[in-house]
Amino acid sequence: MTEKVENIAEIRIFLRELKKHSSYDFCDYSDSSIMRRVSKILNDNKIDMDQLITRIRTDSEFVENVVQDITVNTTEFFRDPWMWKELYKNYLPSLKNKKIINIWHAGCSSGQEVYSNLILLNELGLLDKSRVVATDINNEMLKIARTGVYNAKYNKTFDDNIRDVLECGEMSADVSVEKYFDISEDDGTIRIKSFLRKIPVFKYHDLVNGDIDSIKFDIIFCRNVLIYFNTSLQTRILQKFHKKLVNRGMLILGNHEGVNGFYRAKFSKDGPVYIKNSAYTFQF
Amino acid sequence: MEINGKKYKAVVIGGSAGSFSVVSKILSKMSPDFPLPVIVCMHRLKHVRSGLVEGLNLKSKIKVVEPCDKDKIEGNKVYLAPSNYHLFIEFDNTFSLSTESVHNHSRPAIDYTFSSAAYTYRDKVLGIILTGANKDGANGLKDIHDKNGTTIVQDPASCDIDTMTKAALNLFEPDYILTPEKIAEYLNQLAS
Repeated sequence: MTEKVENIAEIRIFLRELKKHSSYDFCDYSDSSIMRRVSKILNDNKIDMDQLITRIRTDSEFVENVVQDITVNTTEFFRDPWMWKELYKNYLPSLKNKKIINIWHAGCSSGQEVYSNLILLNELGLLDKSRVVATDINNEMLKIARTGVYNAKYNKTFDDNIRDVLECGEMSADVSVEKYFDISEDDGTIRIKSFLRKIPVFKYHDLVNGDIDSIKFDIIFCRNVLIYFNTSLQTRILQKFHKKLVNRGMLILGNHEGVNGFYRAKFSKDGPVYIKNSAYTFQF
Repeated sequence: MEINGKKYKAVVIGGSAGSFSVVSKILSKMSPDFPLPVIVCMHRLKHVRSGLVEGLNLKSKIKVVEPCDKDKIEGNKVYLAPSNYHLFIEFDNTFSLSTESVHNHSRPAIDYTFSSAAYTYRDKVLGIILTGANKDGANGLKDIHDKNGTTIVQDPASCDIDTMTKAALNLFEPDYILTPEKIAEYLNQLAS
């Protein structure tokens, strides 16, 4: 018998307890996504809601595990190749006159998209002036991102996607996978080459409550993160991104995510990119 | 919309291998002013971004769209689960998407869409499972059945591959077992 949480009131109690006994606030996660994650936690640990709440109150290590389970998100190299092609051909080249290009990957998970973007920057000759910070709330995912070692199961997707994307570029029709990856012959794991791995700074950051560096960014990636938040939290995060972008800076969301509500007028959609409107610059 | 004293809020359809032509056929035969939202979750190739929605729009009399996260669910529209996302129905009658791990090797997973429909609409949803080569969708359709929603399983004899429909039939007894033609007829009878 699988344990299914179908009582939103129970979830609210759980979230309040979690907030009280940790630094995490998931109260503005969308209801159904939090319910699914919590159901999975109950099943995996073979406990019921009362037991879960008791353990949240008493076991700090368990709290950390619960948080990791709630915040895990899948990612892959060059997810949505058409979007990366657009960036490669039409958007990243526009940054070539900048002295420094500041990029923030918000909610980077295990880092595949961070490295995807670095590959494109390298192909465009922009790697040396790129400063990349990549953040996530999930420390386990950040560990994987830092090591840059990925399971064989990513390999096929990576291979299909990277060729699809890079073949659209002008100068690099013939890029070999080995230029960026060491592929283990034993188990097929792939490891990002160190010249790419040393560039991004991966660090813990809670998008909901935390503060990020004081610098402003030319590009903010936040792909498939906002989908887990309710609309009021989405608006708060968009406000943060708006403030953290330079004028005409680019915000890149997931394929089926949009900027809604108050901030809709403060970004212009251009292909896969939301561009901060300089005409509407606000100081918060 | 009321049928047999029941007010429906949505129709959800799931299918996999062989289901594109079945969904096309159903949509092509449906009344253009069908009042309910029709939410379709089909297993599809994740790298082929376009084509499916365009293909369905050629046949469908009702507009077919791929919803964005938090889009409001409206009647007289067909919603197709976007490639490489799970599609959920939220309590406030909006969609949400997720990139959670694959379920039954699938993203979108039919189970997830069906279960969230069962939870949100309870007995006011009509769930339909079509041809397919794995068991995804069977548990979700059972959730709809358990909440007293109406369930239709495509007649396995009319399926290209009957794994999916048989998996559902092993779990519970649906309200109807119908061929694609009869499914379209049944839906139109709801609309008339």
